[in-house]
Amino acid sequence: MEQIISPIALYLICALGAGGIALALPRRSGSKAFEYGGGLLVAVALGGAALALGLRASDAGNPMPNLFFYPFAIIGIGASVRMITHKRPVYSALYFIMTIIASCGMYILLSAEFMAFALIIIYAGAILITYLFVIMLATQAPTGDGDDDLDDVDAVAREPMLASAIGFVLIGLITAAMFGGIGELPEPKLTQAQAADSVLAHLPKKVDKILDREGLLEDGWRVSRDHETGLAMIDVDARTIQIELVEGDSVSATRTLGAQDWPEALAADNIDRLGFNLMNDHPVMIELAGIILLMAMLGATVLARKHTELEEALKAAQARKLGTMFHDDEPQATGGQA
Amino acid sequence: MHAFESIQLFGSGMAQLAFPTEMSSSVLAPYLFVSAAMFCIGLIGFLTRKNMIIMFLCTELMFQAAGLALIAFGRQHLGSDGQTFVIFVLCVAAAEAAMALALVVLLFRHRESLSASAWKELNG
Repeated sequence: MEQIISPIALYLICALGAGGIALALPRRSGSKAFEYGGGLLVAVALGGAALALGLRASDAGNPMPNLFFYPFAIIGIGASVRMITHKRPVYSALYFIMTIIASCGMYILLSAEFMAFALIIIYAGAILITYLFVIMLATQAPTGDGDDDLDDVDAVAREPMLASAIGFVLIGLITAAMFGGIGELPEPKLTQAQAADSVLAHLPKKVDKILDREGLLEDGWRVSRDHETGLAMIDVDARTIQIELVEGDSVSATRTLGAQDWPEALAADNIDRLGFNLMNDHPVMIELAGIILLMAMLGATVLARKHTELEEALKAAQARKLGTMFHDDEPQATGGQA
Repeated sequence: MHAFESIQLFGSGMAQLAFPTEMSSSVLAPYLFVSAAMFCIGLIGFLTRKNMIIMFLCTELMFQAAGLALIAFGRQHLGSDGQTFVIFVLCVAAAEAAMALALVVLLFRHRESLSASAWKELNG
């Protein structure tokens, strides 16, 4: 496959975006015009990127992404630009939530539904709220709405030109390298049906339930299980299912359902496949993730603990009080020790 | 026509989306572009902002971009490995947020400032 975006358009877009961000980054002297101008430049660059990608794809007759991709992408990138250019930390965090939600939209378009909702719950619901609390805890409240009363920490960026230039050179290089090699990606090893249904053999109870719901099983029938592995006997390629009649502990009859009986609803969904992949292929990583989270929790507790220093007189009074509580009968001795 | 079809696809619920079809690399490319752009914007933010909380927020943005690339490539290969790795990225991001915020609170208590340049003497 040829180039997906023409190099000149790509570098032009990167230069525009770099200029826009460098203008929009916080500064003390500038008026609002800098911010608006920078935002406009970034918007033009984004529009140009969408146009260039779309034109190239339709030129060559290649399929384009789902139409919903474009609003999600533009909201995502726009919100992340606003996040790094906004002067007030709370707004930055809120714009980051917007970025998260836009990328959740893209996850759904990439048929990763579980991850999309997990991302909203974990990122937007938990992590970002922690950030918001810390921002409110650690920032002195500004006295007015203007930007003049903001601290230098928030109101001035460090080396905006240089950083934007570096960042956008990086975007250009990554994108060019990626788009150059994208045509040489290997074909997926599994076919579509295999990828979707290869998990089904491991889920005999789910298959039972679906077949039962579709009315394909009479009383006492179920999907045949392999004696040694316990896998359901399903042929995903030929679309046949072997079922058996169980009486007591023994199998008294078997039958094969043909491809014409394969129910529409019999398919492994996103959560089946993800859960199976997680538990079957990466069990050690679950343990590692648990250890990382535990260590982080301990570390955070130790780091954020407040060291309170009591005065000596206060300590002595406390000790004396405790002493009289525990040794009511000999107050003289404890008083002397304290 | 294209617009109408995609609206139908989006509106007809998750059932259709549950069976991924093979994805052309011309569909993959825009997702990777968004991912690269988000990553580099996070990098620019990390380099330019002085507020330590915003700097850590920018690293979260870079995690997010990496996650998008993982999911897009995983979709291209019709496998679940990409999504599994995003779960671990989420774990690391959560751990990092906890540690980083504890550190920020600690540093803020010492200097009464969130500025990274308040700790200039650390650069040796």
